[in-house]
Amino acid sequence: MTELATGGRRLVVTGTATAALLALSAVGIFLVAPEDADQGVIQRIFYYHVAIAITSLVAFGVAAIYGIRYLRTRRPEHDMVSVVAVGLGLFFSILVILTGSIWARASWGTWWVWEDPRLVTFLIVILLYSAYFMLRSSAEGERRARYSSIFAIAAFASVPLSFYSVRVAESFVHPVVFNSTGANMPDTMLVWFVVAQVAMLGLFLTLLQIELLQRRADDALKRLKLRLEGGV
Amino acid sequence: MSARPQDAARVEAPPPLGARDALRPLAALIAKDLRLELRTRQTAVGMALFALITMVLFQFTVASRVDDATPFAGGIIWATLALTAVLAVSRAWAAEREGRVLDGLLVAPVSRGALLTAKACTIFVYMLALEIVVLPLAVVFFVEGASAGDLALAFAAAVLADLGIAALGSLVASLAAFARGRELLVPALFLPALLPVVIAAGGATHAVLGGAREVAEYQGYCLFLGVYAVVFTLVSYATYEYVFDD
Repeated sequence: MTELATGGRRLVVTGTATAALLALSAVGIFLVAPEDADQGVIQRIFYYHVAIAITSLVAFGVAAIYGIRYLRTRRPEHDMVSVVAVGLGLFFSILVILTGSIWARASWGTWWVWEDPRLVTFLIVILLYSAYFMLRSSAEGERRARYSSIFAIAAFASVPLSFYSVRVAESFVHPVVFNSTGANMPDTMLVWFVVAQVAMLGLFLTLLQIELLQRRADDALKRLKLRLEGGV
Repeated sequence: MSARPQDAARVEAPPPLGARDALRPLAALIAKDLRLELRTRQTAVGMALFALITMVLFQFTVASRVDDATPFAGGIIWATLALTAVLAVSRAWAAEREGRVLDGLLVAPVSRGALLTAKACTIFVYMLALEIVVLPLAVVFFVEGASAGDLALAFAAAVLADLGIAALGSLVASLAAFARGRELLVPALFLPALLPVVIAAGGATHAVLGGAREVAEYQGYCLFLGVYAVVFTLVSYATYEYVFDD
């Protein structure tokens, strides 16, 4: 119970900070940041689009790390973090596709372009991690957590390979925000991109905490019910 | 000489094995799979027929719409091989499951690594046999003006792709072996993770069979196929102990 109370307090802090950062990023991106000379107002979606894409990869990375931790320790809470992180990674990946499609529609007049390696990679990532939940529902008992952990690791190894293979197969039509020399934008834009990125990571952390807190509360309730039914 | 019951019950650390001793169970497992297949010819024949049917489908849905299907040949070949590879992966543990010897195999004094490697080798052999049939047929069906050298280069890229297919396929097959609804699970797990191989192998095949021979492009795709095989061999190596940890 003390653990739940601590988690709740932590959630209030993270949630408040994230809400403030999201509000600040919205003000900065829509009212303060300069408008892109080539693309106009639609370019502003990129602050969120790129930040969401990076956050989804962070979520899948967290899932893989907790998958490794589960395999090493067999502690169910590590599997719990891994599965919640995969779910959130999928949620952010769908947002990447949606924001990317909106940008494609405004820029090229079409909702989908197969020549865009990043959009296609995220489609593959969504397919890959959707299979994670199929595997999870197909295995039972301890195997469910173990197999899910193994797949979370294998799927994360596949993400950069998918990205690279799509990238070499298609022409490059997607604007490159970051390249090997650094950020491809002026400092006045970079500041708001960083704010949006931190806000998105905060959102991921807040959603992760909410889901974990809920699952832990469910577990605690089940244990309490068992104790009451057992008359202990 | 049979072991006495008290000997069987006693748990002792086995003496260190030489490389040849360690490879013996692996060779026995691979020989068992191949001998079973040579007797029944169930999987190989099924795969070849499925591949042929898939190519006929591609002929009527794609190739018949254009005058020359050569630029599409690489894609058609690798879509066919990837879909057929699903059968090889699905059937990887079928003999053990149908013969109800899966649990027996798991308690046998064979390392988990040997079990997974044997399945990878079996899948590799299935794919190799399939490509010996499919690649020349596909060239006859879809490619105009290909030389024997072009076909040999396409086959070399296929062998590299097979290494990745075998590494990923053995892992997926082992994960699905104990799961419910494995017929649905194998394609859902296997195909999205295999997409990089399909893209690269299709690209390499197109580079040599697609009309103009693009050597630099072919080499780049082959390098990628090698990297994919190494990455998934490492992933399989790092996780194999946990797959059968029952």
